[in-house]
Amino acid sequence: MVEAFAVASGKGGTGKTTTTLALGMALAHRYDVTVVDADTGMANLLFHAGLADAPVTLQDLLAPDAGGPDGAAVDVADATYERHGMRVVPCGTSLAAFERSDPARLREVVAELAADTDVLLLDSPATLASKSAVLPIVLADRVVVVTQPTIPALSDALKVQEYAASYGTGIAGVLFNKVRGDLGSVGDQAERYFEGPTLGSVPDSDAARAARDAGEPLLAHAPDSDAAATYRAAAAGIDPEPKAAGDVADRFRSAVVPERP
Amino acid sequence: MTGEPGAPAAAPIRERLPRGDLVGARVAADFAAPLATALDDRLTGYLRLEPGDALLGVGGSEAVITLESGVPVLAYDAGNAGDDADGPAALAALAGTTPVRVERYRLPAEALASLHDPQTDGSDPFRVAPGAPARELAGDDALAERTREAAPAERRDAAGDHDALAAFLADEERVEAVRREARAEARTRAEEWGLGDQLAE
Repeated sequence: MVEAFAVASGKGGTGKTTTTLALGMALAHRYDVTVVDADTGMANLLFHAGLADAPVTLQDLLAPDAGGPDGAAVDVADATYERHGMRVVPCGTSLAAFERSDPARLREVVAELAADTDVLLLDSPATLASKSAVLPIVLADRVVVVTQPTIPALSDALKVQEYAASYGTGIAGVLFNKVRGDLGSVGDQAERYFEGPTLGSVPDSDAARAARDAGEPLLAHAPDSDAAATYRAAAAGIDPEPKAAGDVADRFRSAVVPERP
Repeated sequence: MTGEPGAPAAAPIRERLPRGDLVGARVAADFAAPLATALDDRLTGYLRLEPGDALLGVGGSEAVITLESGVPVLAYDAGNAGDDADGPAALAALAGTTPVRVERYRLPAEALASLHDPQTDGSDPFRVAPGAPARELAGDDALAERTREAAPAERRDAAGDHDALAAFLADEERVEAVRREARAEARTRAEEWGLGDQLAE
C-alpha cells in the first residue's frame, strides 16, 4: 500500500528539499517512507542528507545504459540508502550524467520504489517549465505545495495547484515556509484558493541553514527547534491514503508516454 | 488616502511628493535590478515605475516607490481605472507587471523628511516594509534581506511583512486570473510535451 506525494513549489528557494526530508522523517514514525530527489537538473537532496559521496544515484538509473561509476549495471536498490529511518534515493550532480539522463525513465524507478513502501515523497524541481520538471506532479497521487509568504512564491504555488488539477493530481495541503513574524490572515486567505488545508507555517530560522551545512536533515540536526516542531505538526496533518502498491506501480509505468526519439 | 480633504498635512503623498532630478531611466525585465541599483547607490528620492501594460499602451498606470538611502519607505500605484492603491496594496498591484520602465529621481533628504516621518498624518497607509518591494516584486530574498539590514533600526523589524500578500489574496479577481492562466498554460504545455493523454477530463 503506497501513496506518492510530490513536494513542489514552482519557485526556487522556498526550502523544498528541507521540507521533503523533514516531512519524510516525521512521517517515518508511522509509515515506511521513501524519499526521491526528482530534481534531476539541480540535485541537492544528497547534500542535505549527508549523501554527497553516494557512489550510485538516481542519475545512474536514469541513464539509458543504467551503468554505475565503474560501468557495472545498477538497479534501484543500489541507489537507495537507509538514512534517518527512511529510504533515500539521491540524485547526482554530474553534468555529463545529466546530459545522458532520460527523465522519462523516472516512471520506472518510481514504479519499482512504490512497490515496497507506504509513503513516497518526490522532491520536485523548482520550475514548471519542462516535461521533466512536471513529471513528479503527473506521477504523484497528491502534491504538498511549499511556498514562502510572498506574492511571487504564492503565485507559483497556485500555478502548481492548477498543473496538478490538470493531471488529476490532488493537493495534500499548503505549507508556508521561511515565515518571518506572524502570518496574520494570510493562511486563512490562502486556504480559500487551495484545494487542501494549510498544513503549517514554518518560521524562518538559522537551524535549517545550519542543518544543510552539516549535511543533516533539519529534524536530525535541530529536533527541538520551532521549525522542526512545525514540520512534525504539518506531517501529522497529512493523512496518507494508501493505494494498492501494484496498482500504483502499474499506473506509474503507464503514466508517461515515452518521448519519441 | 486618509485625512480630511483640504488639510495640507493630510493631502495624499502622491500630491505632495516634490519632483526630483531624473538620474536615469531604463526598461527592466524584472524589479530586482532597479531595486538593487537604488540600494547600491543609496539613492534618496524615488523610483517612478511604468508597468508593462502601460508600456504597451493599454494601461496608463504608474507607481512610485520613495527611497531613503536606497531603502524603500512609501509606495503608491495610480492604477488603471482610478483604482489607486497605497502601500502594500500598491506592491500587490505592481507584482508581475514586467517589463517595467523605471525612472530614478534624486531628492534632497530634507524634501522627503516630512513625507517619511512616520508621525505625519496621511503617510501611514503608504508605508511598506523595507524589504517588501524586493521580496514581493522581485522575489529576491537576498536583496530583501540586504535592504532590511540597510534600513534604520526602528524600521528593520517593523511588522507588516505579509501585508502585500494579504492585499494580493484579497483581490479575488487577480488570483483567479493567475489560476486561469496557469490552467491554460498547463494544458498547452501538456500537448507540447506529449502528456496530453495524462490530462484529467
